[in-house]
Amino acid sequence: MTEGIGLVGIVLISHSSALAEGAAELVQQISGGATVVPAGGTEDGGLGTSTDKIEAAIEDADAGSGVVLIPDLGSAVLSARSVLADLAGETTARLVDAPFVEGAVAAAVAAGSGADLDAVIAAAEEARDAAKF
Amino acid sequence: MPQSSEDSDALAERVVVLPKALHARPAGQLARLAGRHKETTIQLVAGEKKANARGVLAVMAMGAVAGTEVTVTVTGPDADAVADEAAGILTAAEG
Repeated sequence: MTEGIGLVGIVLISHSSALAEGAAELVQQISGGATVVPAGGTEDGGLGTSTDKIEAAIEDADAGSGVVLIPDLGSAVLSARSVLADLAGETTARLVDAPFVEGAVAAAVAAGSGADLDAVIAAAEEARDAAKF
Repeated sequence: MPQSSEDSDALAERVVVLPKALHARPAGQLARLAGRHKETTIQLVAGEKKANARGVLAVMAMGAVAGTEVTVTVTGPDADAVADEAAGILTAAEG
């Protein structure tokens, strides 16, 4: 285990709340107990991203060892960056460039086995080169 | 050859036949097992396909279906116990 207080948390940022929630459910089960928090859709439940939802999800996911943000598509990156800019210096959350599902699975399995923030990020990024079959 | 659990050169091998396809859940369990034994390497071989159990995506990408013979090679501390646990995950009816 790491010296942090808890496991590294993972936030899945999607334009669709159903996509974020479904991915979080799947990934949580595969990882057997990692903290995976969905941040999908707009405030009114439409398609899009919400900086408020992302910020709340980061707070929920943070157990003291850092948080990894995995965006689904480009403009989720913009929302995540804007949240990180607002939280500047007050968060250990880091945005990673990784495939949404594979990156989330790899990150959550790493986080669930007690890997530290850098190792979880590396696991998510490596997923980009993983062949599906 | 007897092996002590302290022996970092310990090696254990198990050959199992999958009762069902190697899906996401057992792949996750194997990766977590590997994560708990950081000094120990768990290598899976099924036909032409190979994967280190640490890589959950690589294990899923093996595409091993029911009836596939999988060789589990474990090297490092607690190799025997880890090999038993890995074989148990692979042959569990659940998952």
